[in-house]
Amino acid sequence: MNKSFIELKNVKKTYKIGDQKFNALDGINLEINMGEFVVILGPSGAGKSTLLNLLGGMDKATSGDIYIGENNIAKYNDRQLTRYRANDVGFIFQFYNIMPTLTVLENINLIKDVTNTSLDSNEVLKSVGLLKHADKFPGELSGGEQQRVSIARAIMKNPKVLLCDEPTGALDSKTGVDVLKLLKKQSDSDTTVIIVTHNSLISEIADRVIRIKNGKVESNEKNIHPKNIDEVKW
Amino acid sequence: MLKRKMFRDIKNNLSQFITIFLMIMIGVMAYSGICAYMDGMKETSDKFYSENNLFDLNVMGLLNHDDLNNIKQIKNVKDAELKLSVTATTDNDKTLLLNFIESNNISKFYLYDGEEFDINKSGIWLDNFYAIEHDIKVGDTILVKYESMELQEKVLGLINVPDHLYDVRDESELYPDRKEFGFAYMSINEIQDNYIKSIVMKELGVDNEQIFDAMVPNFNYKDYIPFNNIMVDVDNKINVGNVKNSIEEKIANAKAIIKAEDTASFITYQGEIDEGKTYVGVFSGIFLFIAMLSVITTMTRVVKNERTQIGTLKALGFSNRKILFHYIGYGFWISLFASIIGLLLGYFFIGKVFINLEMAFFEIPNGHPAMNISSYVVAILVILVVSIITYITGRSILKENPAETLRTKIPSVNGRIINITKKGIFKKLNFESIWNIRDMLRNKIRTCMGIAGVVGCCMLIVCALGMLDSMNFFVKLQFETLYNFDYKLNIKENLSDAELNELYEQYGKFTSLSLGIEIKDKDNIKESNNIFITDADNYIRFVDRQNNIIAKPSDDGIFVTYKLSETKGYKLGDEITWHIYGDDKYYTSKIIGFNKDPQNQNITMTKKYFESLGLEYKPDSLYTNVDLKNVKEIKNIETIQDINSLKEGMQGMLSMMKEMLILIISIAILLGGIIIYNLGILSYTEKQYQFATLKVLGFEDKKIKNIFIKQNNFIAIISIIIGLPLGYYLTDWLFKTAIEEHYDFGASITLKTYIISAIGTFIVSYIVSNFLARKIKNIDMVTSLKGNE
Repeated sequence: MNKSFIELKNVKKTYKIGDQKFNALDGINLEINMGEFVVILGPSGAGKSTLLNLLGGMDKATSGDIYIGENNIAKYNDRQLTRYRANDVGFIFQFYNIMPTLTVLENINLIKDVTNTSLDSNEVLKSVGLLKHADKFPGELSGGEQQRVSIARAIMKNPKVLLCDEPTGALDSKTGVDVLKLLKKQSDSDTTVIIVTHNSLISEIADRVIRIKNGKVESNEKNIHPKNIDEVKW
Repeated sequence: MLKRKMFRDIKNNLSQFITIFLMIMIGVMAYSGICAYMDGMKETSDKFYSENNLFDLNVMGLLNHDDLNNIKQIKNVKDAELKLSVTATTDNDKTLLLNFIESNNISKFYLYDGEEFDINKSGIWLDNFYAIEHDIKVGDTILVKYESMELQEKVLGLINVPDHLYDVRDESELYPDRKEFGFAYMSINEIQDNYIKSIVMKELGVDNEQIFDAMVPNFNYKDYIPFNNIMVDVDNKINVGNVKNSIEEKIANAKAIIKAEDTASFITYQGEIDEGKTYVGVFSGIFLFIAMLSVITTMTRVVKNERTQIGTLKALGFSNRKILFHYIGYGFWISLFASIIGLLLGYFFIGKVFINLEMAFFEIPNGHPAMNISSYVVAILVILVVSIITYITGRSILKENPAETLRTKIPSVNGRIINITKKGIFKKLNFESIWNIRDMLRNKIRTCMGIAGVVGCCMLIVCALGMLDSMNFFVKLQFETLYNFDYKLNIKENLSDAELNELYEQYGKFTSLSLGIEIKDKDNIKESNNIFITDADNYIRFVDRQNNIIAKPSDDGIFVTYKLSETKGYKLGDEITWHIYGDDKYYTSKIIGFNKDPQNQNITMTKKYFESLGLEYKPDSLYTNVDLKNVKEIKNIETIQDINSLKEGMQGMLSMMKEMLILIISIAILLGGIIIYNLGILSYTEKQYQFATLKVLGFEDKKIKNIFIKQNNFIAIISIIIGLPLGYYLTDWLFKTAIEEHYDFGASITLKTYIISAIGTFIVSYIVSNFLARKIKNIDMVTSLKGNE
């Protein structure tokens, strides 16, 4: 069997609130293979977003190891983490987090300022169906279109890992399906896509479903027969 | 509970509230401080003039006791006193304006040390500043020389006198030089009878004492004292004009009658107050204005940031009134405390510093700042404006329904101007530039407030430094261009032609004469002025409006200074009717040209023209380049003035001005720094989530810092471009309107000042931006992005 692309070993994340300590992640172990489409499920406060933040190098683990490929990013300093975020990870947020004062094309070209391995922006825009909106400001787009800008920006850097925090949370079901199709397409081209969500229906299309509860992995199952997106009743 | 919320909100946004506090405090401090200083000047002098009974009129001429008694008989005259004023020297060659008096009920002494005046006391009452400068104490003895008199006098008192607030040795000096010049008073009994006898003998042409005794058998020297002043106290200010007219009519010996308000001492002090009044309007007005702009912007943002909390309070059932009061409290309490501290600092800090500076210049006791009603009104207005702003902002949010309020308002990015930035040259700009340009366009108010604040500060720095430049230019113009001599000798009065010729032989025949005149206009309204009659050739030069040297007037008319001609509406070819004080005959002269004089607004003519009118030319000044470095005294010369010491005197005045300007610059920099910091915080807070996103995307902190600093630098550069010319216009305007009427200055600002102001403003902006940019390193991506949700 191939070695896992992502591996977490006994990862803890402890927050201090006043004198109280709170373990958002309490010794998590898990493995994810390259190119997998992974769905992380769990109730609010389970630690899903914390896990995503650690994987994305946005936050540092209190203890444990996080391997992305051969590299243990848990031991990275701030500079290495910045480089990691610039070159290896793409983020997609529930509320898009795109720059309101930049046009669609400019938002995507932003990536050229941080990495040399970016893709062709017109190709990327075409792939997310936004070519005709290239010169518009985000405020002129619908929610779904804005989320597509966010996806385009994330895939522009041709990341190894695509991390999505409730990517369909603010969208209607039809738009949500379109967004999921784009993400699935990305995982087909060897990008590992990890989605954190409350929506358990998404798990039906996933290669792997991880359930988190109270900062621990409750289950980590491989979905042998993932459904096609169109087969799922949203 | 809401009170607790307010205190915690303030605590959580401490830096923003501290900057609001500081801006209000500095604005109110600057305004009330300069007011306290100006009103203090006025109050101090009013009190001194009234308590020490400054004369209402000063009659000049060769006067005696009969004149005194006649004046006392005039209706509305309360009292009058004779005075003999002479220019004496001391044993160490300093000059003293020595006054012999019989009583001291008018222009009474203010005694710092020593005893009250009494005609029977033998001794001298000495100018307090002069005494301090020369370390003379009560009980010391000094030697005073005047003509043939040598008086060894014990110092009986150190004094201030209400008509000696400002005394200079000669009109060409602007700054009182206490090392060289002071005033003193003595009883008339101290005059030596031999001296008076010698004068009378000279007048009668007798040089033998026995013959004189035979001619004047019962000679009493007191009957022959050549008093030259009578100070008149009028019962009511409104009667001063009538009394003046009566004296003119009845006292033949009265050559000139001057109102207290027309004396150099009074005018100079009053000029300082009038000048200050303009400063109040300009400097403190600008300080307060830019501070308030920034405070209003910040308070609006602070309340707008509370939008969801307002929605929550509304959803919880709090009444609109209660919510509004809660938010008005933010502005009210902060502005109340800041205004109170601003008022106190204004009075005790700015007011006192400025008054103390003035009191080192003017001889007036008990100088103190005074708080007047306008400062309180301004403080109350500031509190009201800030409270009203919070009320209006709060009310606009409260108008929405709670559900809407609970949602974060997403700022719009559309707009015609922003769309322009998608085309043409903008397409070529890099991400940092285009992002900053659009951010500024999107936050127009914040950007404009930032620009206004920095423009104000840059302008004030240019103005403060520019005033010094302009003064230096004036010194150069006056003492290098117009005055083209090494020494000015002030010739004693009534010299014979032989005595004058003796002087000419030794020092050259380059002379001038200044005379007090009265100009009569078409409506017969008379106004005091003076004429300068020149026979000084190239030693006294003239310049045009552009400071280019022009030829002296020809011998068929007069030159009028530009400022005087503008004030009076004189045109080339107009005629002016005038008479010399002490001579009732009127002359009419044609204006043949204009000249610029930075110090005096008067009329100039040549000796030849003066004599062609049938007038006798007796010079009072002689100009020479003969080296007089080691000469202390010259026969028939009252004082010797070295051009370099005149210049040094001016430098002394400039150094006092410098201290005031440093204070203004300091406040400008402090306020500018705070405004930039405050708007920087606003800008940073609003962009924090975007910076967090950039961080997530892999942007390095350094790059994000550059984006942030770039915007502030851009604002600073725009502001400097606007601020520099505005600084020039402000300086020019101040010089043209604020300074005393007899000066004619304009702004003359050096390139160095512009460079210093530009670099100084930019450095302040850069330092503050860098200080704020340090926060970027500590942006917590997770919290910032969550906060935005």
